Amino acid sequence: MSEKQNYTKAFKELQTLVAEIELGEISVDELSAKVKRAAELIKFCKAKLSNTEEDVNIILKELDKSGNDI
Amino acid sequence: MSEQSLDKKIYSLFEVNLSIQKTLAGRYKSAFWVKAEMNKLNYYSQSGHCFPEMVEKKDGKVIAQMRCSLWKNDFITINNAFLRILKEPLKDGIKILFLAQITFDPTYGLSLHILDIDPSYTLGDLEKEKAESIQKLKSEGIYDQNKTLEFPLLPQRIAIISVESSKGYGDFMNILNTNPWNYKFFSLMFPSLLQGEKAVESIIHQLERIKKVKRHFDIVVIIRGGGGDIGLSCYNNYNLAREIALFPLPVLTGIGHSTNETVSEMISYSNAITPSKLAEYLIQSFHNFSIPVQKAKEKIEERALRFIRDEQGKLLSEIKLFSAVTKRLLQEDYTNLKNFKTALQLHAIISFQNQRSIIGRSSSRLIERSQQLLKDYKSELLFLEKNVNNMHPRNVLKRGYSIARIEGKAISNLNQIKVGDIIYTELFEGTINSTINEILTAEK
Repeated sequence: MSEKQNYTKAFKELQTLVAEIELGEISVDELSAKVKRAAELIKFCKAKLSNTEEDVNIILKELDKSGNDI
Repeated sequence: MSEQSLDKKIYSLFEVNLSIQKTLAGRYKSAFWVKAEMNKLNYYSQSGHCFPEMVEKKDGKVIAQMRCSLWKNDFITINNAFLRILKEPLKDGIKILFLAQITFDPTYGLSLHILDIDPSYTLGDLEKEKAESIQKLKSEGIYDQNKTLEFPLLPQRIAIISVESSKGYGDFMNILNTNPWNYKFFSLMFPSLLQGEKAVESIIHQLERIKKVKRHFDIVVIIRGGGGDIGLSCYNNYNLAREIALFPLPVLTGIGHSTNETVSEMISYSNAITPSKLAEYLIQSFHNFSIPVQKAKEKIEERALRFIRDEQGKLLSEIKLFSAVTKRLLQEDYTNLKNFKTALQLHAIISFQNQRSIIGRSSSRLIERSQQLLKDYKSELLFLEKNVNNMHPRNVLKRGYSIARIEGKAISNLNQIKVGDIIYTELFEGTINSTINEILTAEK
């Protein structure tokens, strides 16, 4: 997975993959590769979400601290 | 004693005069009362005698005149009576009623010898003159003229008609200059005679001088005092009174006497009994100005203070209001910010939840669908496998089918065989060896 991968792109790709899989348009030859890719994307998105959430929480906490100074 | 010369009888002047003297003495034996105007008193201070010049005028023209004599002792008696009754001495220009005898002196000629003068006649005449002055001023419409002038707010610059030596002037200046309120007066002396016949001309002369510099003065005062009540009839003089009435500045008098008010005093802007009273009057004018000024000052102070207090109050309440509003606005903004922050947190949480659930759903769908897909493929394969199995010859034989062979080859065509051939029929459980009896072709 490239470093430049971002959540939006990953998510779009994931949605496309899932849609393809749901429609059963995937041949057996491609299946494992695509499922593997989808799993990777899910993992990436989850990680990205967790990291982002952590960041956001830190920022919000800082906001709280400065907020109390008002 | 006359001389006889040819055809003329000649008398000496003395003889003539003696004759006249004798004739007149015979004719005018007793004294009689005469009324006339005393044009000149002609008092000789050395001898103490007077030789008045009496005239009678008609329409301003002298129609009769006569030299008179008034001996020292008679003069003193008469003059005292005048001073007592008229407050005026015997003087030029008055009308008198006198008791006289005609005398004729060979040396001095004809004259009236004055034995007595009736002061009451002159008094009446003076009163008449005074009344005439008043009447004349009134008929000219100038009687009130000086009184109607606007009195200056501060009668500060004073033209004084008086004399330095006058006690009244001293009193006047003393009161003005030592007033405890420190009112400042400016004064300039215009010296003048203040009583007697010459005073009229003298005062008028000074009034004329003041008129030329009137812009430097607020008022004119005529001050006299300490000179008794004598010689004041000059103030009844029409010309003087007129001059005062028409004067462009208010003229105030403080002539100081106890007799009746003179015309000049009547027509002046204001008359005080004495110079001191006049000074007090002027100081009172300053009071009249000063007190409202003082009150105005107090009022201004009070108003200014009140205004400042009001404004301070307003400012304070503005500050309070401003502070309150500001605090409230800050509080509102703070609350908004807090709400916004909470909303932000909430949104973040929801956002993450949404994303998680989408990812989660994707994940589970992926799992589900890919498994399903695998399952489908498996079942498809299984089906195929089944079919394949079904088509296996052993399985076909099992189901009761059999394979006929000749010389090891499966018979699929009747051409391969003929009657009498030995064929082998393979069954599931074994092989049958049989000979062909007949070949029947299947109906098409």
